[in-house]
Amino acid sequence: MKYLSLIIPLLFLTLFVYALFKRVKLYDCFTDGIKEAIPLLLSLFPYLAVMLMLSELFEASGLAAKLTAFLAPAFRFLGIPPEICKLVLLKPFSGSGSTALLSEIFSAYGADSYIARCACVAYGSSETVFYISAVYFAGAKRKISAVPILIALFANFCAVILGCFLCKIM
Amino acid sequence: MNGIFAILFLLSAVVLLFLDPDGFLSALLKGGEKAATLSLSLLAVYCVWLGFFKVMEKSGLSEKLSHLLFPAAKRLFRSQNKEAVYFASCNLAANFLGLPGAPTPLGIKAAEKFCAAREHYAVDMLFVLNATSLQLLPTTVIALRLAFGSQQGADIFLPTLLATLFSTALGGILVFLTRKRS
Repeated sequence: MKYLSLIIPLLFLTLFVYALFKRVKLYDCFTDGIKEAIPLLLSLFPYLAVMLMLSELFEASGLAAKLTAFLAPAFRFLGIPPEICKLVLLKPFSGSGSTALLSEIFSAYGADSYIARCACVAYGSSETVFYISAVYFAGAKRKISAVPILIALFANFCAVILGCFLCKIM
Repeated sequence: MNGIFAILFLLSAVVLLFLDPDGFLSALLKGGEKAATLSLSLLAVYCVWLGFFKVMEKSGLSEKLSHLLFPAAKRLFRSQNKEAVYFASCNLAANFLGLPGAPTPLGIKAAEKFCAAREHYAVDMLFVLNATSLQLLPTTVIALRLAFGSQQGADIFLPTLLATLFSTALGGILVFLTRKRS
């Protein structure tokens, strides 16, 4: 795993040396790029905030827990351990929340247990779909269609089923 | 999206009204607070990578890269918009390498340019490919496992990779089949 930490510094080094060869004014250019950071964040912020508020509300109302309990038998049928139900359901909404949940699963069942491995795969093979949809469709002036979001959720869910199965045989 | 938002918000609000009326405002505030802290860390990440990408652009490296990637990527996104396709393919590459934070600014730039050209198919495809995660190495998970005393922290690498490749391929195919060409 050690060589992985080399990728990013090497990437910067290579680019900056190359840029110097091309007589790019590094300082001016780098600051120019940073100038775009705040407008970018501002364009994103409202969508981010509303999404996070909604997921907090959903969690606080207990509806998230109800949904988990309701879906647990179906999950078991599909080969997903019920212990990771909550993680699978939370992941599309909250990245930091599911990271916290993953640590809880590790300490409750041990990091090398079957459940923990399933949880890892469930966590690693999907993304925080709602956050990403907020970010990517922020610039779109049209009405946001639910179809791509449903596709992403469905594909991620299939990946969890496959991942739990793979954990069993590998 | 407006419909989903209204339904989830109203349902949660009604439940909270009966169970825990004080929890309503505090949940909203907690969400806002999370957005504020997340924005700050995002801002830090954007500063680094937007600076980096600007240098890449000015040195002429991005142009070379986009020449290289264009033929394959234009098929994937069904777009002739060279600049947007370049950002989109860099976004995929950064995702794949798992460069923390780098994919987002690239993805947003690509999405903005696709939107300006009214290429909705490309935005949908870009979104689904990002949302199904195509990270080569789940670094966060492995680090967390090792922190919890795992003996073989990396043994989930293969199942995760297979599962995520599967979800990305499935998502891509579904977009291809269901979204109309623009």
